[in-house]
Amino acid sequence: MDIIVCVKQVPVTAEAEVMVDSSGRDIKKDRLVFDVNEADNYAVEEALQLTEKFGGTITLVNLGPESADKTLRSLLAKGTHEAVRLTDEHFDESDAYVTARILAAALKSLSYDLVLTGCYSSDLGYSQVGAALAELLGIPHATMVIGLEVLDGKIKVERELEGGTHERLEIDLPALLTIQTGINEPRYASILGLRKAMKKPIKVLTLTDLGLAEGEVGRDGSKVFLDTLSVPPKGEGAQILEGGPDEVSQKLVDIFREKGVV
Amino acid sequence: MLAEHRMGELRDVTREMLTRGRQLAEETGAQLVTGLLGHQVEQFAEDLKKWAHQVVLIEDEKLANFNADAYQRVLASLLGDRTPDVTLIGHTSYGMDLAPALAVEMDLPLVTDCLDLRLEDGKPIALRQVYNGKLNAEMSFAGTPCLVMMRQGAIAVGTGDLDGQVARMDSPLTEEIAYRKFLEYVEAAVGDVDITQADVLISVGRGIREEKNMPLVEDLAQAMGGVLSCSRPVTDSGWLPSDRQVGQSGRTVKPKLYVAVGISGAFQHLAGMTGSETIVAVNKDPNAPIFSVADYGIVGDLFQVIPALTERIKETRGS
Amino acid sequence: MEVHVASQELTREHHVLRCIQCGRCTSGCPVSTNSSLNVRRLLNEILLQPDLILSPEATELWQCTTCMTCTQRCPKGIKPLDVIIEIRGQLIESGRIQPGLRDALESTFLHGNPWGKPREKRSDWAAGLDVKEASGAEDLDLVYYVGCTIAYDPRLQKLAQDMVKALDAAGIKYGILGNEESCCGNEVRRIGELGLFEELTENNVKLFRERGAGRLMTTSPHCYNVFKNEYTDFTGEVMHYSQVIRDLLAAGKLKLSKELGWKVTYHDPCFLGKQNGIFDEPREVLGFIPGVELVEFDRCRERSLCCEGGGGRMWTEDVAGQERLAEIRVRDAVGMGAEVLVTACPFCLLTLEDAVKTTGDEEKIRVMDLIEVVAAAL
Repeated sequence: MDIIVCVKQVPVTAEAEVMVDSSGRDIKKDRLVFDVNEADNYAVEEALQLTEKFGGTITLVNLGPESADKTLRSLLAKGTHEAVRLTDEHFDESDAYVTARILAAALKSLSYDLVLTGCYSSDLGYSQVGAALAELLGIPHATMVIGLEVLDGKIKVERELEGGTHERLEIDLPALLTIQTGINEPRYASILGLRKAMKKPIKVLTLTDLGLAEGEVGRDGSKVFLDTLSVPPKGEGAQILEGGPDEVSQKLVDIFREKGVV
Repeated sequence: MLAEHRMGELRDVTREMLTRGRQLAEETGAQLVTGLLGHQVEQFAEDLKKWAHQVVLIEDEKLANFNADAYQRVLASLLGDRTPDVTLIGHTSYGMDLAPALAVEMDLPLVTDCLDLRLEDGKPIALRQVYNGKLNAEMSFAGTPCLVMMRQGAIAVGTGDLDGQVARMDSPLTEEIAYRKFLEYVEAAVGDVDITQADVLISVGRGIREEKNMPLVEDLAQAMGGVLSCSRPVTDSGWLPSDRQVGQSGRTVKPKLYVAVGISGAFQHLAGMTGSETIVAVNKDPNAPIFSVADYGIVGDLFQVIPALTERIKETRGS
Repeated sequence: MEVHVASQELTREHHVLRCIQCGRCTSGCPVSTNSSLNVRRLLNEILLQPDLILSPEATELWQCTTCMTCTQRCPKGIKPLDVIIEIRGQLIESGRIQPGLRDALESTFLHGNPWGKPREKRSDWAAGLDVKEASGAEDLDLVYYVGCTIAYDPRLQKLAQDMVKALDAAGIKYGILGNEESCCGNEVRRIGELGLFEELTENNVKLFRERGAGRLMTTSPHCYNVFKNEYTDFTGEVMHYSQVIRDLLAAGKLKLSKELGWKVTYHDPCFLGKQNGIFDEPREVLGFIPGVELVEFDRCRERSLCCEGGGGRMWTEDVAGQERLAEIRVRDAVGMGAEVLVTACPFCLLTLEDAVKTTGDEEKIRVMDLIEVVAAAL
């Protein structure tokens, strides 16, 4: 079963301070550490488990700068087979539709049974590229996949809806699935494994390699634009209780008493 | 906009979008039209006509269960016919399956997961969040027509007091979608505890760090006679069963008291608990989004605060 | 998916053929009583099965705290601990390790600490204090290597704050490494991630050289252990703070004047005592503190009961129903009438404090680090 996994390298921002840069349209990245997007990591693990069961190759495809090689190599170290990086200065500031267009251009020349990607990226979080890519490739898709089962020429998927409900669908292969976190437990890639992966080639494709025109990509090719980034206004927000653990816990108990819950 | 419904009920996001859509329509003197797709869904149309100027009802047996591809075909036809300036679709699981593909098919600009949409000189500007909710982003469109996906729970629902018309449109579907078949819904199993019925919820997030630290919050829940719930990372790690998860993909809860311990407040989580009467948050990060919805906040180390709180509660209850 | 262990190679490399199955390893192993780890049986399996198959979980191998008792007791010079660590290394290469360990290792690689915290917050503990970074240009008495867990854990940041208080009081010229300080790698090495350990040591030795760290003092015995014994490229002097503080007290440079009036007992950390022979210095420090009465555990010094904090145990899943050795320790301390359980290792401190809570002894005893006791007497 040949699988393509589209992966993105994102800054790790969960605990870090995120600040707007001088352009007002991006964040300061010099102090940030980069890693594979969490949902994409789950997609890679799913691909690994599928090929362990059914055989086949896994090709990683990434739209990113040269520094994304670090992430690609750590994923190669986990046992994926090939990696393709799409890099070109003209790709900067592409919206989600254009991102899908660029990925589609790369995937057109590859053969696959399944395309996987994360359902959401922790940087801009559009949740858009996956389904758009499927449409451009002309293959069926399902998003927010929390479980899957490969059948003959088809795939049964379980999708996450709201409120804990799931829905089950049967989709013809080849198909594209966007994977939700929690579907599996991703494996670890050791540093020795990473070193071995350093020897694996990463194919780099540019705008011209993909047969795209300048006007089709980047800001020129986009239809939506990120104009400003700003810190959300604090607004009313919470009343912050001051003091050490003993003081604040006493204050809380008083509040609980007042609300009649204690 | 697209009315979203499932298993016999209109989803809340529908009325939220109708509220905002109406405000925007009134601002510009435009019409608010809602598309209602399904099988035997007339009763929704009766409700929806109070919220929109027109309800376009498209019924078809093939639309009995939501199928993104079937919806896509019908909407492509409807949008091609009516060419609305702005189309609103909920940023829901259905929406995410449908809208991006529709945008590609119809070559429409699309901004997803919007907290709000406003008009500036007649041009739509969308507001979203990025980087774990730490920053706001304003986005503009190359032009209209355009597609906008609205986040659930972001808009306050107004009143449905319009007197709209219901118009029927024939379904353009000629056959079942063979390559994508709906099989069934799977309801979340309710375990021994139903968190949606609890008065007091002690909710734990990634801040608890490890499974071995869970007794900390279990003790507090017990001392307060409350129930333990959690955010997504805790169920992803398997420390609590999924029926304890509060959030968009989990349960929506409205307890008397919601204590968020080590939860940063990602919007998917907030969506499930902002209806709580009183919200208390304990988090080390003063910028954690949870503080924007909490009534009371403690910026501190949960490993110190929670045990102290448990002690106090026990003393107070004289146990 | 199973993991195949190359037992024949292990046998050769670690001289397992010498094993006479006497069982001294298992009888000295602290977790033999409360886990499924049986060192003697493991060596037997390696000998008898040329292709040893382990399930990826191999839970018992991750219960090992790397206290080194087995290696020290073996009459045939075999190092069973090294065998365990090598098998761990093979499990690491298979990628199938517990999520807690995976996250700790990934975090160490990305952020320089196993706790998932950003590097830029590493010296937040020193906010508001007059603590300077070693630049390599000054003439310092020592460079204070704080350590990941002390830097980030709110309970333990006090240790670093007390440390600098004591050093200042003694007029010591010291510098810290600031946000560039990275994990020492002791636990990483014991978890079996050899590749990551090599990265860490290479970068750390380079940093020490750049910052003029000729004399390195650590808070944690774990850091002390790896810098002293396994950083072969580091030529500087390595000290544990108990040694430095003892010397300062003995020379009269540090004076403690407050009468504490506490009855204390001291828990020897495995990485300080058993593995590196530092038993007397912490006791001498306690001896210098006015009004402190020391009562000794029966299992003290070389026979100290491991707290189960080392060898990656801070990140592995607890197995339900197992008695925690730290709880035994706390109960013994309470039984001796000690009010304060003193230790000199951050992992011991955390596990013992947890045990005080789980045994319900919060009213009877508290756990303190040696430096906290010193600072209290300043």
